[in-house]
Amino acid sequence: MILEGSVRLPFRYAAGTTASTFLEALRDEGRLLGSRCPACGTVLCPPRLDCRCGERATELVEVGPAGTLVSWTELPGRGAYGLVRPDGADTAFVHRLLDAPESLRGGMRVHARFAEERSGGIADLAGFEVAS
Amino acid sequence: MRADPGTATPALSVVHEMRLTWRYASGTAMERFLAGLAERRIEALRCGGCGRRYLPPRPFCGRCRLRLSDWVPVRDEGTLDAWTVVHLPIVDARTGEPRPVPYGMGLIRLDGADTTLNHYLAEADPDRLAIGLRVRAVWREELRGALDDILHFEVVP
Amino acid sequence: MRRVAVVGTGQTRHAKAREDVSQPELVREAARAALEDAGIGPAEIDAVVLSNMELFEGRALPELWAGEGAFAAGKPCLKVATGGTSGTSACIAGFHLAASGLFDVVLVAGFEKHSEGHTQTGMALTDPFWDRAVASGAVGNFALSISQLQAERGITEEQAALVAVKARRNAARNPHAHLQMAELTVDEVLDSRMLAHPVRMLDMCPQSDGACAIVVASDEPARRLCPRPAWVRAAVTRHEQPYLGDVDRRLLTMRTLRDAARAAYDAAGIREPLRELDVAEIYEPVTYAELAWYEALGLCEEGEAGRLIEDGVTAMDGELPVNPSGGVLSTNPVGASGVIRVAEAALQIHGRGGERQVEGASTALATGYGVYAWSDVVVLQAEAA
Ligand SMILES: [Zn+2]
Ligand SMILES: [Zn+2]
Repeated sequence: MILEGSVRLPFRYAAGTTASTFLEALRDEGRLLGSRCPACGTVLCPPRLDCRCGERATELVEVGPAGTLVSWTELPGRGAYGLVRPDGADTAFVHRLLDAPESLRGGMRVHARFAEERSGGIADLAGFEVAS
Repeated sequence: MRADPGTATPALSVVHEMRLTWRYASGTAMERFLAGLAERRIEALRCGGCGRRYLPPRPFCGRCRLRLSDWVPVRDEGTLDAWTVVHLPIVDARTGEPRPVPYGMGLIRLDGADTTLNHYLAEADPDRLAIGLRVRAVWREELRGALDDILHFEVVP
Repeated sequence: MRRVAVVGTGQTRHAKAREDVSQPELVREAARAALEDAGIGPAEIDAVVLSNMELFEGRALPELWAGEGAFAAGKPCLKVATGGTSGTSACIAGFHLAASGLFDVVLVAGFEKHSEGHTQTGMALTDPFWDRAVASGAVGNFALSISQLQAERGITEEQAALVAVKARRNAARNPHAHLQMAELTVDEVLDSRMLAHPVRMLDMCPQSDGACAIVVASDEPARRLCPRPAWVRAAVTRHEQPYLGDVDRRLLTMRTLRDAARAAYDAAGIREPLRELDVAEIYEPVTYAELAWYEALGLCEEGEAGRLIEDGVTAMDGELPVNPSGGVLSTNPVGASGVIRVAEAALQIHGRGGERQVEGASTALATGYGVYAWSDVVVLQAEAA
């Protein structure tokens, strides 16, 4: 005998102060922020409160909007995704790539494109496009 | 610019609703028990080691660690072993909707079983409930082979 | 096996909602505090054990994110999830790792952010065949057993309310606690909303956001890092049959807790727990459970639990203060709650309890309780053995 069913589970996740500041700068000013660690100098993007070295990276600095494409892949039907390291940051983050996959190469220079309508989420960054 | 927890503007949040779906296999012991319910028949599994009659029936005795296969009949009437009246609306995992409150709950030791069954009570007045009361099953009109073929247990007058 | 001790503890401020931090940031807050307390840096941690109930936050791989908070990158890391006992079981796993000789210093960190999910629905996802069609929830399941506790031991609603008052008044002296109610009275408890007869709102634990971490060290580093290490003299965990109706008089007999306590006392050489223990941090999700645990832990004879609370034996100035922290009744981030019990017990031996310090505490008990199925018992002592 098989018992089938389903249930809805609601969630509401707090971004926390650091990520909220990042998302607000993205939404209101079209800027990318990273968090800088006072101990080891690492700039994390997206910013995190806590550096791997153990210190708190509470200082926020502007990074990008230009950056370097570290690696990329193509998801069938969903376009290209890549790891982009914004200028001024030491870490890369995953986001959508807006150019045709066949035109992409690792090491390329890319540039952030912000969404026209922004609401306070990571989708406010439409993606990265190859710098012209 | 700095971002210290507890000092900045209210944090942004991400709202998300997850829909979990499942498809569980009953196993043979439970299948026989549930098929029996569809015919208003309740059966327990008896342990060959300790003699305990498990209801609901399980394939194993957790005490003797033996596999069980000795089916024994159980009546749809028994004794109330514990009770409560729930006032906090509990989400029904099958529908996601809360069950209307208040409602009675009991642990019922059916005649012929050694373990107790967790089920609803028709009575929801604390002053009319007590350990040791005799209760009997009230069956659904159209039986479907599920635990809620028994709607609830009512106090035997 | 090597001797092991708790040499540092840290916890967050616990609250209904900690929206100022994300999950890994919450964990880091506790982990950093524990490292600071132990006087070490992240590089000195050899392994990490985490504790969390992932269904409550609906997040795949919570250990990936909590691990980031607990400095786990580049280190061995595992997670334990056994309901309410998750935290104590994670601590016991940490003790075993350090005792085995494989690791010298182990960080144990537990967290929960109940505000981010729907705990009640998560809790309702129990056995699909037997439990989901007849839902009474965690409160209802307790209430069923409590009807037996009342019938057979004569426990009254007033005695249960005294437990609630003791917990929340103790919590008012604990800066980390979620519910701090220095003025709470028995009447207020008895007037609070009925959840499931006879359990009222103020009889139950809250749902909290919070994290807690401890630093466990083996013999040599323990002596080096801590002036007064809390040595692990016993750490026992016991399992039970799964179905609610499998175990008669579950709260009354609480076989898992009785067995675990007996084994732990034997290991620690304790014969009269009420007299020999200096402080206890027990996992009491509901007031009535604390009274049932008094018996199961051998603190009194059968039927004497009500007298223990009435006579103030377990109050801060009593013979055996139980839950100076305010307990689970005042703070309950489930995945952290067991870690908090061990941390608070260790804190007492370290002598770092601040306003909630039991003076001169040198033998401390910590327990965990997981969905009526598991019990953990830990005995910590100022003397190594
Ligand atoms: Zn750093
Ligand atoms: Zn058996």
